[in-house]
Amino acid sequence: MSEAGAAAAHDAHAEHHELGFIRTYIFSTDHKMIGRQFLFASILMLIVGGLLAMMIRWELAWPETAVPFTSWISEPFMYPADEDSAVGAVEGLSEYVDPYPGANFAKSLGSVGGAHMDPAFYNSVFTMHATIMIFFVVMPFMVGGFGNYLIPLMIGAGDMAFPVLNMLSFWTAVPATIMIVYSFFVEGGAAAGGWTMYATLSADPTLSGVDTGADLWVISLLILGVSSLMGAINYITTVVNMRAPGMTWFRMPLVIWSLFVTAILLLLALPVLTAALGMLLFDRTMGTSFFMPGGGGEPILWQHLFWFFGHPEVYILVLPAMGVTSDILSTFSRKPIFGYKAMAFSMMALAFLSWIVWGHHMFVSGMNPVLGTAFMLTTMVIAVPSAIKTFNWLGTLWGGNIRFTSPMLFALGFVSNFVIGGLSGIYMASTPVDIFIHDTYFIVAHFHYVVAGIIFGMFAALYYWFPKIFGRMMNETLGKVHFALTYIFFNCAFFPMHFLGVGGHMRRIYNPLQYEFLHDMQWWNVFITMSAFCLGLSQLIFFVNFIWSLIAGKKADKNPWEANTLEWTAPSPPGHGNFETTPTVYRGPYEYSSPLVQEDWLPQDRKLGPEAVTASQ
Amino acid sequence: MMQWLPEDVSPYGGSIDALFYFIYYITAAAFILVTALMIIFLYQYRRNDNRRAVYTHGHSGLELLWTIVPALVFIGLGLASKGIWEEVKLNVPETDVEIRITGKQFNWEVLYPGPDGEFETADDYQVDNDIHVPVGKPVRVFLGSKDVIHSLFMPHLRFKQDTLPGRFIEAWFQADKAGAYEAPCAELCGFGHSGMKGTLYVDTPEDYAAWYNKRWPPAETNGGDSSAAETTEEILASGAAMDDETMSEPEAEPAVTEEEAESPTEGAADSAAQEATE
Amino acid sequence: MPRGSAVAAGPPDSQPSTHETTEALVAVPGYGGGPPPPSIPRPPVSNARMGMLMLIGAETMFFAGLIGAYVVFRFGSPVWPSGHLYLPVGITWVNTAFLLFSCYTMWRAIRCIQADQQQPFVRWLAVTALLGSVFLGVQGFEWVRLVHDGLTISAGMYGATFYTLIGCHGLHVLAAVLWLGIVLVQARRGKFSPQHLIGVEICGMYWYYVGAVWVVLFPLVYLN
Repeated sequence: MSEAGAAAAHDAHAEHHELGFIRTYIFSTDHKMIGRQFLFASILMLIVGGLLAMMIRWELAWPETAVPFTSWISEPFMYPADEDSAVGAVEGLSEYVDPYPGANFAKSLGSVGGAHMDPAFYNSVFTMHATIMIFFVVMPFMVGGFGNYLIPLMIGAGDMAFPVLNMLSFWTAVPATIMIVYSFFVEGGAAAGGWTMYATLSADPTLSGVDTGADLWVISLLILGVSSLMGAINYITTVVNMRAPGMTWFRMPLVIWSLFVTAILLLLALPVLTAALGMLLFDRTMGTSFFMPGGGGEPILWQHLFWFFGHPEVYILVLPAMGVTSDILSTFSRKPIFGYKAMAFSMMALAFLSWIVWGHHMFVSGMNPVLGTAFMLTTMVIAVPSAIKTFNWLGTLWGGNIRFTSPMLFALGFVSNFVIGGLSGIYMASTPVDIFIHDTYFIVAHFHYVVAGIIFGMFAALYYWFPKIFGRMMNETLGKVHFALTYIFFNCAFFPMHFLGVGGHMRRIYNPLQYEFLHDMQWWNVFITMSAFCLGLSQLIFFVNFIWSLIAGKKADKNPWEANTLEWTAPSPPGHGNFETTPTVYRGPYEYSSPLVQEDWLPQDRKLGPEAVTASQ
Repeated sequence: MMQWLPEDVSPYGGSIDALFYFIYYITAAAFILVTALMIIFLYQYRRNDNRRAVYTHGHSGLELLWTIVPALVFIGLGLASKGIWEEVKLNVPETDVEIRITGKQFNWEVLYPGPDGEFETADDYQVDNDIHVPVGKPVRVFLGSKDVIHSLFMPHLRFKQDTLPGRFIEAWFQADKAGAYEAPCAELCGFGHSGMKGTLYVDTPEDYAAWYNKRWPPAETNGGDSSAAETTEEILASGAAMDDETMSEPEAEPAVTEEEAESPTEGAADSAAQEATE
Repeated sequence: MPRGSAVAAGPPDSQPSTHETTEALVAVPGYGGGPPPPSIPRPPVSNARMGMLMLIGAETMFFAGLIGAYVVFRFGSPVWPSGHLYLPVGITWVNTAFLLFSCYTMWRAIRCIQADQQQPFVRWLAVTALLGSVFLGVQGFEWVRLVHDGLTISAGMYGATFYTLIGCHGLHVLAAVLWLGIVLVQARRGKFSPQHLIGVEICGMYWYYVGAVWVVLFPLVYLN
């Protein structure tokens, strides 16, 4: 339907001249505006999620001391600090906390508007940190934001297949976002069952003490599921039907492959979560007992359903970052991606295998040990495509002519973190080792290297496509400083978590000092917290750069990075309908340093001279 | 040998630790390989405008190599893990030491069957958070829960098992060194999750005999009361009928210390009070 | 900074630099170059149908989750159905026939519009909508009776799974009937023609799907 698609694009073009402010900026059906809306929404939520992380880290480093700047939070959640000292809500705690580095700093800072955190509120804080980061930051940023922005542009289409559905997708995500934030302010506070919301803790409000907040959590994710469903339908249809002439499957950029595979996973995984959430909501509000053993229910069923969705979800999060990284590594190495088809097929393999590994989250849940062995073996298999991708990225660097721009640095950062996250995953894939490290900080370290490591993919994408999206360049120097600080503090914050986990430090605990076997390791907690604060502060550089560049950045050319893919042939930023004429694609997306031309790049839509054509005949 | 993991006092912990360090060497080697290559490439192939990048789309041989080698390594790891997993989970040794540990918000309720070796009989003894076992003997433990999912974690024994409301999960452990070890809850179980922990007392034969004889004097018949222990049905049912009683204040310390619980009638009064509220 | 050619089909502005490699490379379409491939033909499945297929895939996963849970409880329970309550199998057989017949009438309606027979088309659509509504009505009536007899959603696992599974299907039928109502109004206004019938077709796809789900659910929930 490429002709029809182009025609539609031109219709849209004509139509847009009459659109007012609301139709252009708020209820827009233009995929580029919707992409930007998702971007801004997720950046806002990134701030919320990041601040929650800071509260968690404070509590772990200096447990039960006053957390600074939190006295504005009302009583059942935060209690006013003692008048004389910031430390000492708990009898005798001072003598534990004092020997650790930074205790004096913590005390003096804690006296600035400090308040003591309630343990129940702590549970809400880490639950919401994870929920927000996963569902309201990474997914809307990569899938909602860049998925929307890039898919039509990179396949040469004028817009999405269903522009109105696209708009609805964003405007259903908005109430979900508002609801999840609002849940902090209802009586009893926000959901406190962990982002995995294991029943029975989550299924009966009296067990967690959180009533409305957890209901809102469930309803919010139900609504978000509808939003993602609309997005996924749109992405798949667009990629299948709207590709420009010549854009065959294996000429698509890997970022489009990754978004396409992600959309399929979203389409099939989220409805399972929806079914489980529905049952959970009935348990909470209608008196059923799907997950309550007293009424014949099965608490472990929740875990099966949740992780049947949950493991594909991990790949929903990480695949787009992998795609972005592949594109950026190839562009700035000035070299075709190494093993294009292997990259595409390994993404499909990851997507397929992600459906049969969910049990590795449940090795100690009481599941049959024989099943544990089976899930261990499938999990070992899923490590293979990840290894292929890593080595192919290395192969792409080999023999390149590498330009160290900010997006390239962030992409390299993603690769290096993904290597650590992937390798640490092997420990927990091994069932006997998982007995020990399950539910410890080793797990926390692992998934932060993978999922929080995606933030490197996100920044890489933002620095790379910022000129296209906003028509201005970001400041390179600030970008590099931002990368250096983020990379250093990210590793300082998350790598030591492995040590904690190996020492047996449980996750989701409010006060590690309650356990004697953890006392010797407490200074690691302090170190991690300091690093995490620095990591948070480093992001200020990004915000300064982002806002400054939006307003006064250098005007961007059409193709500032000398890249090959189709979006760089459109103006920066592209107008309505994206392309002046529908582009024709002659080759794959990674023809860098091709001997056919003198420049070291060869855009996908560039028609070569007649001699090239005759030579092939 | 590195000593990162906590001290191991269990019979199978050695194999788990060995597997851990084995994986550590493999992953460390892979990490060093990848990182070194990356750094070398980044330096060697940094921008140079007098040079063109190598124009290649891949190398089937190499790609096959780095598909097959990791696959073989992972399969090997899987098989090694499978052996140890079965040793831990499936080869349950015979034993006559049995205890039942039931998680409840936010304590471990430990039930000893007493001399008759049967649970839910008159000579049972129930206490919160104090797990007494003899050194060097396998212990069969039945794990249950009264409310939410807990997870009994004994880091020094390389033992972790979730407890599920509505059923008892059978597991075993053995401690080969006398001492007191912490036994925290590892699964988020509510606002008092942090601080929910029991203590595993691994007693020398003499200490164990002393503790045992103090509880069940050899001469007398028994000093228990049938209501001291709840029946299986009651525990299972309490997973359903969650009432205010389970929402009691989080207790960081064991509610019933050994001294207090010396007279079993006190424990009986406790659970009688529970029943009254139900 | 050298500029790339911005717009497709511009004049060739490059000279192959190394001729000997060129020939080998351009022989590999997709890499070095080669002649432009024929433009991608009109996709075999239109956007609207594709989108509907995707929705159906997602709905299938949703019902798979619910049915999976149902199977766990159904075969994990010692007594099933719990209590002495049995579902109204007889009337539901009749109801099943209504729903399946409505799929047939839907099919007839689409056949008619393909042949541009506006009057029978509208009539068949109306019959379909009527049958769907009857199905819903009977279901609702039976539910009221069941609730009166004590089978409520909170009465136990049996009631919970029954109302969840059958209720979710009922909501889908309701959505399909409402959608069909809109299509019916459009059809009466003569909006559809053999060239323009995608709105009816995708509504029909959804209708068939809802019927197909019932074919799975009815034996699973009622007939055992």
